Amino acid sequence: MQFQHHSIADGVNLYACETDKFKTVTMKVFIQQELSKDYASATALLSMILPRGSKKYPTTLELAQQMENLYGAAIGSDVMKVGERQILEFYFDMVDPQLLVDGDKILAQGFSTFWDLLTDTRRSDHGFHPDYFMQEQQNLKRLVDGLINEKRSYAIQRAISHMCPQEPFGLYKYGDQDSITALQNHDVYAYYQSVLCQNPMDIFLVGPNLEKWVGQISERSFNRQPVKSLAANSNKRVDKPTEVQERRDVSQAILVMGYRTEQTYTSDEYYSLVVCNGILGAFPHSKLFVNVREKANLAYYVGSGLEGSKGLITISAGIEGDQYEKAVDIISKQVIALQQGDISEDELIRTKKGLISGIQSMNDSATSVIDRNVLGVIHGKLRSTEEVTQAIAAVTLGQVQAVARGIELDTVYFLSNGKGDNE
Amino acid sequence: MTVVRVTTGERLVSETMPNGLKVFVMEKPAFQRKYAVLATKYGSMDSKFQVVGEEVCEVPDGIAHFLEHKMFEEEDGHVFERFSQFGASVNAYTSYTMTSYLFSTIDCFAQALQELLRFVRTPYLTAENVKKEKGIIEQELRMYDDHPDRRIYRNLLSALYHEHPIRLNVGGTVESIAKIDVERLMQCYNTFYQPTNMALFVVGDVEGSAVVDLVNQATADWFDRSKKVQRIYPDEPLGIKQDKIEQSINISQPRYYLGFKDQVRGEGKDLLKQQLAMAMIWRSVATKSSPIFTDLYAQGIIDDSFGASFSGTPQYAFSVVGGETDNPEKLDRCLRKAIDTLKKKKLTADTVERLKRRSLGNYLASFNSLDYIANSFLAHEFNGTSLLDFPSLLQSLTIDDVNSALEHGLDWDKAAISLLYPE
Repeated sequence: MQFQHHSIADGVNLYACETDKFKTVTMKVFIQQELSKDYASATALLSMILPRGSKKYPTTLELAQQMENLYGAAIGSDVMKVGERQILEFYFDMVDPQLLVDGDKILAQGFSTFWDLLTDTRRSDHGFHPDYFMQEQQNLKRLVDGLINEKRSYAIQRAISHMCPQEPFGLYKYGDQDSITALQNHDVYAYYQSVLCQNPMDIFLVGPNLEKWVGQISERSFNRQPVKSLAANSNKRVDKPTEVQERRDVSQAILVMGYRTEQTYTSDEYYSLVVCNGILGAFPHSKLFVNVREKANLAYYVGSGLEGSKGLITISAGIEGDQYEKAVDIISKQVIALQQGDISEDELIRTKKGLISGIQSMNDSATSVIDRNVLGVIHGKLRSTEEVTQAIAAVTLGQVQAVARGIELDTVYFLSNGKGDNE
Repeated sequence: MTVVRVTTGERLVSETMPNGLKVFVMEKPAFQRKYAVLATKYGSMDSKFQVVGEEVCEVPDGIAHFLEHKMFEEEDGHVFERFSQFGASVNAYTSYTMTSYLFSTIDCFAQALQELLRFVRTPYLTAENVKKEKGIIEQELRMYDDHPDRRIYRNLLSALYHEHPIRLNVGGTVESIAKIDVERLMQCYNTFYQPTNMALFVVGDVEGSAVVDLVNQATADWFDRSKKVQRIYPDEPLGIKQDKIEQSINISQPRYYLGFKDQVRGEGKDLLKQQLAMAMIWRSVATKSSPIFTDLYAQGIIDDSFGASFSGTPQYAFSVVGGETDNPEKLDRCLRKAIDTLKKKKLTADTVERLKRRSLGNYLASFNSLDYIANSFLAHEFNGTSLLDFPSLLQSLTIDDVNSALEHGLDWDKAAISLLYPE
């Protein structure tokens, strides 16, 4: 699953992967922005307004019916947070034209409908169509409030914001209530225009017979200005670990422990950290699952996640409120075990195999293969499946222990109903 | 051995083993993952049964799910470890009607498949390991308790159904699982984990007949010891239990679900036809291509969370429509009116034609996902329907079929609403 790179305009790059493995043609467009309080809410709002309608299909109803006529072609949009970048993301897929009568004609309609949403939005004198602006502003506010509805995501986001209060990474990817409320239609429209012509734009295409479509995209006029250079990730070490307790009426308490590390995606030792995190908590054979769930029976889920752009590890577990101290103790001991080199050859081998399987498995899904490569794009270099699997395979126990020594606890966050308190 | 070629071009090989186990293999050239599911037609609703010649047996709710957890325990370790040595991932899930064990692997497919066929045949239950699992499952149940969608859904089913066990959580309750012991687990295992009650689906870049041979060898010493068993379901009245159910929990905004208790109209192709027709009806109500949806959305009463689904198996059938809303009373009023209008005006030929194109496109695209193919094929198999009949039945579906489903499936005398409010 190799991507052919085409440089299209200033800061606009196209990556095409020719394959007839899938029943669909998939296109994703990513526009990069700095993650910052100034832009976060506006960028998130764009992801919600733009799919509402274009000049050609001004209403959401007409647009959705058109997509149904194209054999259920799908469009979607969202924002992602990758390190301290906020990525505006647009998605399109349609059935492989070879499976349809007049397939190429249908796909051409699909692509042009999709591009129109991005570049030929329904507008008014105020900027965006005022109803769309108002409705989506309300929806975005609800979305931000709605974080609490998914308790695990909520707990992890809260832990991250406590951990990074002065760093952009602490921001929520959909922005915050006050800045959403303050947004004005004409400002957001002007912002949209500037983003479209200045920010790095990466287009990914996966499917069969792409040559024609690559040609068509290359011929589009992007009206670009010199590409905006975006700030690099900030870097901070731990002063002193902090502990945060939050009370909510929850049935299950959630413990999140946030750690800083010394590696990021671009470090030489990055894949040692990936393996280290795998041994710690990415698999059912990992230390956390075995010790917290299978031995102590404290949790149903427990695991660790690595954010490679920023180099942070977050461990989360759903537990009984009165098991806080015991869980913190067992989890901390697993990190210490890694730092002391208490890792078996067997753990190392299983973890590497699991990680390599995971990377190779991504080649079986168009969206996964694209999403994996976006990380490379953001950091300035695509990494092939082979490069990544070789880097993982080469990691030694010594390297894992060395990067583990650079892992430092920053924040312990606990969401509970308070009923487990001793007082 | 039978071989068919499916609409999207793949070869599907099927064979019944001498012991009665049904085996299906779909060849997906170029895919790296190989995926297999071994399932038993035994789920959370099978908690009362009678082996012919023995006494009626009533087991605690949640026992099928509990048994699924325990199948991962081995006398000398854990099933997770056996799969992680191949870099494979293994998992399982339980639904109302079936329990499925699955793995995904890149390498060592034959060993992983043998392992799957071995561990599902060898329960290892002790009083001690059953006791320890209760703590883990209790945390799983608490996690679901904090999940608003699951809560509102289960509440709705408990309003629609008087007696039928689908009104209960698949996992049971903390109280019901407390009553589970080794003897009862083994009784369920011996009754339902018999090859004649099970099926295996394998999908990936494999050779169908070679996989069939492999399964044949691996199961040569697995004999069917099933006795005739009668599953006993309570007499469920046609009407609903109550027309409204409300609860307050820690969420950001109210949620509203409207449910219709339905009846299965026929079996095999007739059931699949009903599923297709109901899916179309709900698409014409609760997706963006519906004027009903876009009107409610423009009024700010619903957002993207609004959706609908139909569930139909030989034992039950119901529909659910709803989502998050700031104004459940107004949504209820408007939705009832819109559904009445739709029932009066009926779906037009144009709408049905458009929805057919979408359904066909979605069906073709679904063959991208190994997981979807395998799990959905077996769910159909146990329901007496066939995933492969989808395109031909879709084509033969008439506008009268759809409108007749609309008339019967959305009966206000059998409707209930479930509401969640923020505390």
